[in-house]
Amino acid sequence: MTPNRILLEIRNLSQHFGGVKAVDQVSFSVAEGEIVSVIGPNGAGKTTFFNVLTGVYPGTHGDILFNGQSICGCRPHNIVARGIARTFQNIRLFPNMTALENVMVGRHARTNQMLFGPLFRTRAFTDEEDAIEARAAELLDLVGLRAMADEPAKNLPYGVQRKLEIARALATEPKLLILDEPTAGMNASESTDLVALVRRIRESGVTVLLIEHQMRVVMDVSDRVIVFDYGVKIAEGTSTEVVANPRVIEAYLGKEAA
Amino acid sequence: MSLVRKLPWMPVLALAAVCLLPFIAHIAHFPYLVRVGGVVGLFMLLGVGLNFTLGYVGLFDLGYIAFYAIGAYTTAIAMRAHCSAPTSIALAVLVATAMRAFVGVSILRLRGDYLAVVTMGFAEMTRLTINNLDGLTNGPKGLQVSPWRPLGFLSSDPNVQFYLLIMGAVALSVVSARRLEHSRVGRAWVAIREDELAARLSGIPVNRFKLLAFTLSGVFAGLGGALFALWEQFVTPESFVFWESILIVSIVVLGGLGSVLGALLAAAVLAGLPLLLQAKLSAQWIDYRYLFFGLTLVLVTLFRPQGLIPASRRKTRLGP
Repeated sequence: MTPNRILLEIRNLSQHFGGVKAVDQVSFSVAEGEIVSVIGPNGAGKTTFFNVLTGVYPGTHGDILFNGQSICGCRPHNIVARGIARTFQNIRLFPNMTALENVMVGRHARTNQMLFGPLFRTRAFTDEEDAIEARAAELLDLVGLRAMADEPAKNLPYGVQRKLEIARALATEPKLLILDEPTAGMNASESTDLVALVRRIRESGVTVLLIEHQMRVVMDVSDRVIVFDYGVKIAEGTSTEVVANPRVIEAYLGKEAA
Repeated sequence: MSLVRKLPWMPVLALAAVCLLPFIAHIAHFPYLVRVGGVVGLFMLLGVGLNFTLGYVGLFDLGYIAFYAIGAYTTAIAMRAHCSAPTSIALAVLVATAMRAFVGVSILRLRGDYLAVVTMGFAEMTRLTINNLDGLTNGPKGLQVSPWRPLGFLSSDPNVQFYLLIMGAVALSVVSARRLEHSRVGRAWVAIREDELAARLSGIPVNRFKLLAFTLSGVFAGLGGALFALWEQFVTPESFVFWESILIVSIVVLGGLGSVLGALLAAAVLAGLPLLLQAKLSAQWIDYRYLFFGLTLVLVTLFRPQGLIPASRRKTRLGP
């Protein structure tokens, strides 16, 4: 792996809703193997930006290059197939499915049995099913949830649900993992755990892009930080550079503070 | 040896119960019981069929009866055109499934209540078309279907013959549903029901899998319609009113969304019990059967909203 190869390149990306410029002319790039944090005050357009990136919104202007190819206008499942997976700010699991099944669903894009295989219980089907289950179990191990494999997702505690979402996203074999506020609602020790998990994920060769509010986590985990305010990128750099930037302080604390 | 040990007891018991019913009817001098069994079987087939869309995917489909009607009329018309009964059945399945795919393509982008209204509208349109297309369907007077005697080697009573044939179709639907439920396709369906956006962003082409479930459920509606037409030897638009759609939806909801076993039990309760009461009670009680139906729904919604037999999730097969 060449460390500096560009994996994701955002060019002048905008998402407008009528007159509201939720994301406006944003450009930056992410290199393979990096952990990049996107921060900014509430309503700065971070989640909207992630939604454009994953195909939920179409994007108004600009382009997104992933692995050198444009993914703008692609449908969400195609974007997943190309190697971008994400989690959600408000946890979105499949509540009545077990933890294991939640992760198994994530294997969808990487497997291909349709009707014939399961109806006739072909060898190809049972082999694929076993492989799906084995991989899902491995991922539950990675996030430390193996013991809860058979528990319906809705019965799991909040912090555990967040980790399960990450396991489900990883099941799609992403090159880029997008985490939308992964430590929201977690206490200090759970956050520390999560930081360790994000590092492990990076070590396994996955690039990570995250929205995060806990500055301690941001400082701790990110190689680079991008700052959004009112839909515009106002700063970019290492975490120490960014927190010293007067425009960032102004965005968070107001003009006098800056 | 290993075959005996592998034999699951549920299907064996079900098979025994199905085969026992005609004998019980015979011993009790109550042949009507076999007819009730056949009708219940048809509703089981429809319940399991609708469970694909309403149960697994959570599509609010109020027009399922239309495709049952299409299956029945296709069979009747094919039989009148001197096709053999098996050919007519195959044609019915084909036409109902194709219609289902065609309708699905145009309406599956709608969600929730909107989908319910459009499917309901389609069902009424179908019934009205049948009612007015005199040249093809003979309108409200209905179509006569020439008799067909399947499984003659098992029984000489046509009711027993059709009862067994219908139960065979039910078995086919149950095995298909159970096998698909725990597969990549079944998981995709349930994931869409649980959270459509999360399913989309987990790599599932949501619209394609909705259409697949919608189309596939047409197979069972078509098959049910065909068996109904051949058994009754007569089809009229009267048999396919909106009330029947509601009954099938109730079977799926009452049984438990996504629960095949629940749909079977609910079909027996909702379709079978009123028929038995009708036969056993005096005429004035018949008027109360909708009251019974309504009460059952209210009680289940109040005390068991997850259905009679909630859908069970699979346990891990690998060791811990």
